[in-house]
Amino acid sequence: MAKTVPAFIDNICMACRVCVIACPFGCLDMTRTGIDRYGKAYPELVSPETCTGCGICARECPVDAIEMV
Amino acid sequence: MNGAMGKVLVVDLTARTWKEEKIDDEIYRNLLAGVGLGAWYLYRNIPPGADPLGPDNILGFTAGLLTGTGAAMTGRWMAVCKSPLTGGWGDSNCGGDLAPAIKQCGYDAIFFRGAADRPVYLYLGGREPEIRDAAPYWGLDAVEAEEALIRDTREKKKPAVAVIGPAGEKRSLIAGISNDLGRYAARSGVGAVMGSKNLKALVLSGARLVKSADPRGIKEVNKEYAAKIRKSNLPELVKGGVLPVMGKVMGSMKSAAPMDGIITAMLLKRYGSTMNNTLSIHNGDAPLKNWGGSEKDYHKGYYKSLNPDRFRKRETHKYHCYACIIGCGGVCDIGDVKEGKYAHTHKPEYETAMVFGGLLMNRDTDSLFYINELLNRAGLDSISTGGAVAFAIECYENKILSPEDTGGLELTWGNSDAIIRLVEKIAAREPGIGELLADGVKAAAARIGQGSEKYAVHAGGQELPMHDPKIDPMLGTVYSADPTPGRHTTSGSLYYSTSELWKRVSWLPALVKHPKTAEYEPTPEEALKNVAYTSYKMLVDGSGGCYYAMMMGVRHFKIFEYLNLATGWNRSPDEYMEVGKRIQTLRQLFNARHGVDMDSFRMHPRAVGEPPLPRGHNQGITLKIDEMIRQYRLGWGWDEKTGYPLPETVARLGLTELLEKEAPLG
Repeated sequence: MAKTVPAFIDNICMACRVCVIACPFGCLDMTRTGIDRYGKAYPELVSPETCTGCGICARECPVDAIEMV
Repeated sequence: MNGAMGKVLVVDLTARTWKEEKIDDEIYRNLLAGVGLGAWYLYRNIPPGADPLGPDNILGFTAGLLTGTGAAMTGRWMAVCKSPLTGGWGDSNCGGDLAPAIKQCGYDAIFFRGAADRPVYLYLGGREPEIRDAAPYWGLDAVEAEEALIRDTREKKKPAVAVIGPAGEKRSLIAGISNDLGRYAARSGVGAVMGSKNLKALVLSGARLVKSADPRGIKEVNKEYAAKIRKSNLPELVKGGVLPVMGKVMGSMKSAAPMDGIITAMLLKRYGSTMNNTLSIHNGDAPLKNWGGSEKDYHKGYYKSLNPDRFRKRETHKYHCYACIIGCGGVCDIGDVKEGKYAHTHKPEYETAMVFGGLLMNRDTDSLFYINELLNRAGLDSISTGGAVAFAIECYENKILSPEDTGGLELTWGNSDAIIRLVEKIAAREPGIGELLADGVKAAAARIGQGSEKYAVHAGGQELPMHDPKIDPMLGTVYSADPTPGRHTTSGSLYYSTSELWKRVSWLPALVKHPKTAEYEPTPEEALKNVAYTSYKMLVDGSGGCYYAMMMGVRHFKIFEYLNLATGWNRSPDEYMEVGKRIQTLRQLFNARHGVDMDSFRMHPRAVGEPPLPRGHNQGITLKIDEMIRQYRLGWGWDEKTGYPLPETVARLGLTELLEKEAPLG
């Protein structure tokens, strides 16, 4: 487990998938639902064991909806 | 260069070799990436007269200049080639997850020359590109093949896959290319070209990042845009049942005026493109009964079958293409449909719903979901396939096709079981009726004869989409005169009215409220609007932008700002619009180089209103299409008779130097 991992700020996230596709290690997926009225799927750290804490997801997020914590 | 990866990959499938080519910054400055880069490369490297299904054709997969820079709504890729349907320039635009993957592999485009002697796929993810054996995947449908390729090749991150289904393998001219389990580059016959090269798939697994001049500035624009989108919600009181009334009101308006494009976001967030379903029937937008009917033929009792709320009920979650902040797509549960053959499907788009609903007078909603998945798996363009079915039904109804010809299918309007069976036959290119229709309506009518061409609705070989230009004449002009005919995503008056281009582009007069009748006059003013909007579209297609973002207008989707922030160019909207004009003229120059008869692109008489419809919203309308085409050509600086770009236009746009830049390979 990395020292820091992504935490998603749901009221900022637009569910655009940029973080999922940017992650070089395939750690993220769009799997969290039940968050908004539209039934969008939101990103989630599905493989914490492969996350290196590199922060690329946070850097690439178009709206700064990811914090490394 | 900021925004671009600066090189393309060229794969020779005949020789099984590959090489990288650096792209001069001047190409990006003048043509961006995406369709512009594709047009530049193909113009120089496909010899005139090349067989679209032969090894001389080149198939390109291009990503936009803004893709990967963080700019919102810029995750579109384009397939480009010489089209086997029209014989001229071919391109097809698609979302999903392929566009960023192209750039993550280090390229702005991947071009395929030649043809493999047996099925192959391209794998990018290791140190060097690999042309791998595709025998285990050949014959699988597009969904099965994508899932299998991901399963077999995945290392760390999930690769992005572009793939053809059996229809493309069998070179059906109405075949497309899928990615992300059913998002389609469907038009221009691009899937047939991929099949002709024995290329089953691309599997892309890179992780490079795209550099931008001002990534912080891009994020600030995104945040402002995202805040607007987040606030744009359709009131809960508005239900799908209200939409036919909205359509009726829209259709009765005698004037047109500028509109705020953000309303598009409200509707798309809830319904996706199915927002148009019933609305379009009443405002005259939807062609019914193979373009021969009207809303008068579409009984009120039919409306519930196309009510977008009905489509939403099957939606388990929304689907977003890469970098999309709207989420117009959806994944739908269809486990209870047709004995549960398929568990789920992408939510059918308006085009699919209307072509297999209204155009065929089909009221069976479940059949629309089932057909949607059949088409996605077979790898067929839904518009063209639905057009081919409509053609067959009308031939059958008029005794041109007999029960023997149809393999016993009773092809009557709205017979959903027969329609499904026919789609299966087309998908499999089954001898007989399947084989007959698998290359689209133009080819089918040529084979049948007996006056059947009057039921073959197309423009230059491309089946027409589900938007009747009799309510929007600008649409009719681009259907008939654009380098890729028969497209609803190029330009139109309604689209123009939300663009707010006139507030940013110095040569455009302000759009003011005007009588709708003015749009029916073939004037230079109307042509100018068309030139402007199409230039904007080329800009968007060179950037990887989404058409729905484009429809929100430049106030909300700040493409000029995004381009400057990504590249550091600091250019004006006027300069960017010149880029759009250059790309469009280059696409048409491709047609000139290949000797395409541009007059043959004139859309089918039914779409023109020849003869006019006897009843309904569009009753009595005949478009002045020939003069509109003439004005359109003049507006671009193209020859009014041939439609080919005039030498002075080519020179003024700087295309002469660009096309000579470096030695072509062909």
